[in-house]
Amino acid sequence: MSRVQTVPHSPARQWWLKWRFHLNILLILVPLGFMPKYFADMRLFRGEDGLGQHVQADIPVGRWSVSLAEMRDEPPLADGPAGYFKTFNAALCATCDEGVKAIYLRVGKPRSLRAAGSILFGSQYRMATSLPIPQRTRPDALLWITIEGWDGNMYQASVPLADASPATAAWLAKQGDKR
Amino acid sequence: MKPLLRRLALPLLLAAATPALAHNPMCECDETTAGEITCKGGFSDGSGAAGVTLDVIGYDEQVLVGGKLGDDSKLTFKRPDGEFYVLFDAGPGHVVEVDHADIGAP
Repeated sequence: MSRVQTVPHSPARQWWLKWRFHLNILLILVPLGFMPKYFADMRLFRGEDGLGQHVQADIPVGRWSVSLAEMRDEPPLADGPAGYFKTFNAALCATCDEGVKAIYLRVGKPRSLRAAGSILFGSQYRMATSLPIPQRTRPDALLWITIEGWDGNMYQASVPLADASPATAAWLAKQGDKR
Repeated sequence: MKPLLRRLALPLLLAAATPALAHNPMCECDETTAGEITCKGGFSDGSGAAGVTLDVIGYDEQVLVGGKLGDDSKLTFKRPDGEFYVLFDAGPGHVVEVDHADIGAP
């Protein structure tokens, strides 16, 4: 008859063997910690928190009006060698969907329709674009909104970048030595 | 084989779940040899821009050099006189402008 001999474990090992199962609880607790941020993000992406931060409401552009807001109150984000980008959201006025072909956003006045800036995409009530912010932009630069109409004309308006995104203006002021 | 697969499963899953990459257009121009400018286009997700339109436009909006990027995403042209800008045009709203003042010798 064989005899089984139990080897006594060290106290640390005993503690580990007894409690390791409870690591499962961590699997529930860790995601819980991230939930407030997750839900805040979801509200932001769905537009339940409005268009964004520092909303510039009803900027008249041609016969339309556009509301513009930065997605988050933060400086531009680097995208590798492509430079720095800032996400802006925009909405056309609720009753003016007629005649607008495309809406563009640019730092500084566009030279032509071809170079009108980055295009806003999405539904007319909530469009978004990733706007390149050149590092040598002056903090007092203007954000130009260009509407390309189906009539072939360009309609333009501008707002100070410092109003639309104070964080970007502050960031640009810090980039001064790179200009 | 099986234990190896099991051990690799999680890292493989994590590697497969790469975040969505933006692909912002980008364009760099340098005066490579005297009087010649080489522009290289691309997108920030690392993809090239072969065949994308690249125009050199004067400040008076006249197209001085009209071309498309080669298979190496590059285009070389003679530096025009006067003031101009390079327009990397990957479609409406997907453009990059490079001003002549920003194109210098490397």
